[in-house]
Order: sequence, then C-alpha cells, then structure tokens
Amino acid sequence: MTPGQALLTSLIVCLAGAGLTALTACQRRLTGWLAFGITAVASSLALYAAGSSLRLGGVEPETFLKLPALGFALTLHVDGLSAIFIGLIASIALPATFFGIRYMDLYPEYSLRRYHPWLLVFLAAMYGLVSTTDMMWFFFIFWQMMTLPGYALIRFEHHKPENRRAAVKFLVMMQIACVATMIGAELLATNAVPAAGGATLRYDFDSISRGLPGLLEQRPGLVATAFALFLVGFGIKLGMWPFGQVWLPDAHPAAPSPMSALLSGVMLKTGVYGILRYFLWLVPESARDIYPAGAWGAWIAGLGTLTLFTGTLQALRQEQTKRLLAFHSIGQLGYILLGIGTSLLILGHGDPALLPVAAVAFAGALMHTVFHGTFKSLLFLNSGSMLWAARTQNLNQLGGLLRWMPLTGLTALVAAMSISGVPGFNGFLSKWTLYVGAIQGTPAGRLLPVCAVIGILISAVTLASFMKFFGVSFLGQTSRTVTSAAQEGKRLEVDGLMQAPQLVLAAACVLFGLVPGLAFGLVARALLASQAGYAGVLADALGGAGKVPGMPAALGGSAVFLPLAMLAVLLLLAGLAALLTRSGGASRRRATPWLTGYQTAAEPTRYTAHGLYAEFKRRFRWLGGTPGSPVAKDSEPPKTT
Amino acid sequence: METLTVILRALANVVVVLLLAPLFEGVLRRVTARIQSRQGPPLLQPYYDLLKLLGKEDIESGESPWMQRFAVHLALASVLTVVCLLPLGAPSPLNAAGDMILLIYLLTLAGICTLLAGLAAGSTYSLIGISREMITMMALEPLFAITLVIGALNVNSLRLDQVLDGSVYAGGGFPLSGLIMLAVMLLSFQAFVQRVPFDIAEAETEIMEGPLIEYSGPKLALFKYAQMIKLVIYSSLFVALFIPWGSALVFPFGWLWFWVKVLGLVLLVTVVAATHARYRIDQALNYYGGLLGVAFVALILAGFGY
Repeated sequence: MTPGQALLTSLIVCLAGAGLTALTACQRRLTGWLAFGITAVASSLALYAAGSSLRLGGVEPETFLKLPALGFALTLHVDGLSAIFIGLIASIALPATFFGIRYMDLYPEYSLRRYHPWLLVFLAAMYGLVSTTDMMWFFFIFWQMMTLPGYALIRFEHHKPENRRAAVKFLVMMQIACVATMIGAELLATNAVPAAGGATLRYDFDSISRGLPGLLEQRPGLVATAFALFLVGFGIKLGMWPFGQVWLPDAHPAAPSPMSALLSGVMLKTGVYGILRYFLWLVPESARDIYPAGAWGAWIAGLGTLTLFTGTLQALRQEQTKRLLAFHSIGQLGYILLGIGTSLLILGHGDPALLPVAAVAFAGALMHTVFHGTFKSLLFLNSGSMLWAARTQNLNQLGGLLRWMPLTGLTALVAAMSISGVPGFNGFLSKWTLYVGAIQGTPAGRLLPVCAVIGILISAVTLASFMKFFGVSFLGQTSRTVTSAAQEGKRLEVDGLMQAPQLVLAAACVLFGLVPGLAFGLVARALLASQAGYAGVLADALGGAGKVPGMPAALGGSAVFLPLAMLAVLLLLAGLAALLTRSGGASRRRATPWLTGYQTAAEPTRYTAHGLYAEFKRRFRWLGGTPGSPVAKDSEPPKTT
Repeated sequence: METLTVILRALANVVVVLLLAPLFEGVLRRVTARIQSRQGPPLLQPYYDLLKLLGKEDIESGESPWMQRFAVHLALASVLTVVCLLPLGAPSPLNAAGDMILLIYLLTLAGICTLLAGLAAGSTYSLIGISREMITMMALEPLFAITLVIGALNVNSLRLDQVLDGSVYAGGGFPLSGLIMLAVMLLSFQAFVQRVPFDIAEAETEIMEGPLIEYSGPKLALFKYAQMIKLVIYSSLFVALFIPWGSALVFPFGWLWFWVKVLGLVLLVTVVAATHARYRIDQALNYYGGLLGVAFVALILAGFGY
C-alpha cells in the first residue's frame, strides 16, 4: 500500500466509523470502545503512511479523484512535512480517544451521538488537511469538515450558555480564516502567469508554485497581499495575537477534556502546518531571489514574540484549569512562530554561513510543534482527571490532590516541567533549539536576541503559571471541595483506563527530552523527504549527526547540551544529598503546619491561586485576558454537600 | 582519559564549593555583626550549624511528604550541578555537556525546588514566600539571561568556556552594552544572592523564612547549604563575566586570585546587606523593572555591535 492509499483508507475508516458510532451511540461504553478501535485502526494506517514516506525519503503526490475543468482533484501528498503532522495527529488521537472511553461517563445527560461521530470526522478532516495539495476545493472541504465537528464538540455541553457562545465564536473565526486563505489562493491562481507545460489543476500546490516566480516579478504587491491573507488565515487558526485571544480561551475549556487535548495539541498545529507549507514550501527555487523571505520572517518572528508575550502573561491571571491551559496554548504557539520567523529571516538574509542556524531554528519550531502536542494534550487530560475527581475547574477550590491522585499528580508534574522548559524534559529541548537559532541568527535580524530574551522571560512566567497550576491543585492544604469529594467514599484517583493515556504521554515527554537524537532525526528525515521550496536548503544545512552525539552538525559545537550526561551528574549529586540527610541519623515526625500558634489550618486561611503573584499580575492587568468566570473564593460550600 | 579528567575536575569543583561555601557565610555573618557593632559568631559557625541541623529531628508538616523530600534533595543536587558547569579558577569541567542556556535553566531548576518545597509544606506563610520568590525569579532571570546573551553575541558562541570568560567585553575595549550590564548586575546582585534589601521571599522578621518555615533538621540543613552555595555560584559567575583579569595566571596563583575576587564580592554583598533595610515586593518590582528596561537597551545595543 502506498502512503497516499494508506492515508485515504485511514480517512475513510474514520468517516465510516463516524457513521457506525452514530448508530450505536445509545450503548455508551460500547461506543467508546468502538470509537477507540476505529481510531486505533485509522491511526495505525496514518502512522504507516507517515513512516513509509519518511523511510522512502518522500513520495509523489497521488491523485484519487479528478475533475480538471473545475480544477477539482483529490490529491494526497504525504511528503516529509505532512508526515510529521500526520504522525502527530495519529499519536495524540490514540491517548485522547482512549481517555474518552471512561471520561465521557462524566456527562450522563448528554447523548454521545454528539461526541464520538463528530470526533472521528474531525480526525479525518485533519488527516486530509495536512496532506491535500489542493489550495481551494479540498482545502475548503477538509477545513469545513474540521470546523463544523469542532463547533459541535465545543458546544457538546449545550445546556451551558457560555459553551454555546464559545462555539459560535469558534465557528465565526474559523470561517473568516477559511475565507481569508481561499481569497489568497484565488489571487495567486487567477493571476498566475500561465506556465509552460499545458493546463494543470489550477489550485494545486504544484501549479501555484510554478506560477509564483513570474507573479512575484510582475505583481509583488499582489503576492504580498495573498501571503498576508495566508498569515491571517492560519494565524487565526493557531491562535496568533490578536486573533487567538478572541476564540481560543473560550473554546478550549468548553469542550470535553479529550477534545480540548485534541483542539490544543493537534488542531492548532494545522495552522502551523499551513504557515510552513505556504511560506517555506510553496516558493520554488527559481523565485528565491525575489521572494521577500526576510521581511515575512521579521513579521512572523515579531508576531510570534507578541503572541508568546501576551498569551502567557494573560495565562498567569487565570484561575480555571482549562482556561489557563488555553491561554498557554497561545503562548506556546508564539514560540513556534518565533522559530519559523527566525528561520525565514535567516533564509532571506542569504548568508550561506548562517544557513545551518536557519535549519536549527526550523528544527526548533517543528520540534516545539510536536512536543507541545504531547505535553499540552497531557495537561488537558490531567485537568480532565481533576475535573473528574473534584468536579470543578476552579483552581481556587482545589488543593492537596496529590495525596488522593498520586499518579495523575506525577504525570501533571512531568507535563508542567515540560511546558516550563525544565532541562531533561522535551519542552526544554525545543526551546533550547529555538533560542540557539535566535541568538546565533543575530546577523540576519538585529532584534532576534531581544526576541530570544523575551522568550526566556516568558518561559519563567510559564514556570510561575505552572507552579501555580500544579502547586495549588496537587500540593498545599487539602481544600474543602476535595475533602468533601473524598468523604463521599468515592475513589478520587481516576481508574486505569484514564491513567494509561496520561502515563504514555508523560513517558513521551521524558523520552524526547532525554534523547535529543530522536527529535532531530525526525526533523532531518522530514526535510529529506520533502522536495519543494526551502526544504532542500534546510536539509543540507542541518546535516547529519555532528560532533556531539545525537545533535545535528548544524550546531557546530558552538552550542552543546547532553541531557543524559547532565541527568547522570544530577542523580549522583542527589545521591550525595541523600547521604547527607541520613548522615546525622535524624528521626522523622509528622506534624501540622504552624500558623502562629493560635490558629489551625482552615478553609479561610488556605492560600489559593487567586493570591499567588498578585503584585506581578496587577502590573499586567492592561493586557486583558480576564479570568473567565467570577472569582470564587472558596468560602461558598461546594454543591455536593 | 579525557572523561576521567572531566570527572575529577567536576568532583574538585563540588568538593571545593562544599568546603568553602559555609566559610563565606561565616565571613558574611561576622562582618555584618561588626558593622552593626556586635561581636558576631565565630567564622566556623555555619559549619557547626549545618552539622547540628543534620542531627536534629525532621518534622514534616505537609500533606505530600515525598514531594518535600524530593524537592530538598533536588535543591542541593541542582545547585551542585551548576557548580560542575562553572569555571572556578580553572576551565568549566562539564563545558562539553551544557551551554549557557542550560546554565540559565539549571539555576531556575534550583529555584523550582524551593517553590515545590514551599508549596508542599502547605503553610500559608510558605505560600506567601513562594509567591514573592517566583515574582523575583521572573524579574531577575531575564537580567541574567541578557548578560549571558550579550556575552554569547560578542564571542559568537554559546559555550560556557567562551561566554564565562569576560565575554561581555570581548572584541576589544569596553563596549557600551558590557558596561551597562556591569552596572545593572552590580545593582541587582543583592537580589540574585537573596540578601537584604532583596531577601523579600524569606523575610525572617515578617513571614518567618517563607518557603522554609516548615522545614527543620536535615532538610533545613540542605536548603541552607544550597543557599550558601548560591552565594558562591553567583559571585563566581559575576567574577567570570565581569572581572576576568588575571585568570590566566599559573595554577595556584590564578586559582587563589579567583577566590580572592569572589571574597571581595561577598564582602560587598555583606556591606550592602548590613546597611540597608528590606524593600517591599512592589518597591522591589519597580526597581527590577527599571533595571530590566535598561538591560534591554543594552541588549539592543549589543545586537547592533556596540
């Protein structure tokens, strides 16, 4: 089976599965397993397609359906770039649907007919969107197949008015994005200088790409308009400032948690895919001299820095688990944009000595795309488990969960460490690569180090936010909500069906963080397996393994990071610390916290998320991003009692 | 053979710092006392304190004791890992395993341990403390990052052996950006080593050591040790970045000269700490904000080669 056929089969399996699960939706548990089974088959096919494309070093586009008169053709092209995104979708879909089997019991009053079928259509659409070569018809079809189920899934809990509003916002923004992108494509297609070699499909990447050099020469303004529309369209999708703030923070918390995981971990990435495909892959070699890569790079890097700055500082103010995570999605996607922008800036600069740095920045962006998929979907599954246990998304009402949910707590800690960029976890590896790119790329963009330092600053803010997220919910004093939930005699820790996907994702975070060669290898293979645009240049510049084992030659030894060696040192020294603690033979005793002696710990004296970093948050209030619901100090008794 | 040398040099760094850090603390306490017209404890008092604490009862007040233990061990381990990356009068031992970005994030990891410890202890005071500690980290980390990035831009490499060798002045003469950063780092140094007037997170007289309030016995010993080591780390970093002269002397002299410079910085910290009163967190934040603005100007200047 060729990669294209495998992917098409996977798409059809998803769509057929959607029909099937719609029929069986009354049998809730059965439908959950069925949906997971279908996803497993589809994911294996998709992973096979991606894997064989990477192994073969790229394949030709495959056309399955053709109406040349309209320029209408279903052409799937699983090249290296698509393979990475297909792999990401397939590998996040598996844990998310597995988590959903049990998790959907949380909504007994809502029919699953509104959940599993839509989710499968949504998956099919994403597979299609990242592999079609049609910039108009099939782009539209797949975009709508992704948007409409997305709308249905966000308003799954449709009895809540805020969820309905969030869904409408999502729908409107996605339609604007769709129209912007299609107008851009139409501009390029209709004005293209007819290329030699006869009429082909006018909206195909190939024909647009061939027409681009002539168009760039004759009407650069028009091409710039089209590309600006692409940036807006895909920017809306991936949550770029200022568009992301409009829909994203409302949409993510509204959807059921596994769907939030897919929305943030995977769906936003189709926007990243679009930007990479259109800005880096569409421009043929012959147009390289007249394509203003540097200018676009500066725009994208600047917008990326703005996005990460605003998104994360707004996230710091949040007091609802999933809303906080949603704002961080905006922030993290900013890092990806910064990487893409850096890469384009350096490519536009044209200094061959700097090309390896462009490859490093590109690798950082692509790695962060994949890694953000793992840790952010894990975080959404964690908050799903917290919602399952304590029935609240309000961080102010959570506390001391670690005692009740040790495994969820551990995976949440791993995810929090990853997103905050603690060395040894995957988030650090990609951020490290991005910073190396931005700092070394200074000759191409004098302000790049400023972007890098803002990235480092925001990384500390991310850490603060996740210390809050993890600390106030899992550590600290047990809150009244948690106590009363535990008193009902219910086991708070989620069962194996919900633990397994969290463990798998946490393991991925650690594995990719400790073995940089894995991710760099994937990026290098992806570049080798795509022929168009700048991929060849970047692939050559990235090189194979360099002086430092597992690191690409592009880093040239001017930046080094050996996670395993550092981990060994850290563990040895932790052993030394353990020896020191034991050396005195001190005895150990439990006690309650000391509160000046005349007061014991109680709900009103519990320090909550609202109070943390108050002074810092106050200074950035002008950025907006209000915490969604009114701030509930946990003085009101929870509904369960 | 090469690996063995690296391991031995790293070990030497760790041992030297473990032995010297309490001594610097002793000097600091003694000099502070003299400035305040007190007798002051003997120079070796911090060693005695640590030994005594290691044998004291360990009271765990939090609801997740294993997190408390984890945080404590990681706190000391992470600062000692940083020590292995530093050029302490000799080239950085683990130079080939990590660069300046790793250094920034490892120092953050040391801070994370204090945060986790404070959060796990579950006391309201410790939460107030970690809130302040984190605010300080958010404001200070970029200052330190900017210094290192300017150095990295000057030497066009992120490797520690090149960056931590007076790189802010590299390229001849005294570039404007380097001088600005020298001033900024001097003005914020007290905050990096968490001493008065910027010991806001601990504030003994106000929130009773904040994150550490619930810690006793060996755990407190480890945290105190880590804090003393941090003083050495930041002083060495400052020396390596801004006072590189004389580091090329032959072995015992270069090495001794390095520690003399570190001692000089510790004395400076002491004098400032003994003669100032603590700022409130909002005042401190204004101060850091101003420094950060100036530092960003220096970074832009450095980007354009000044």
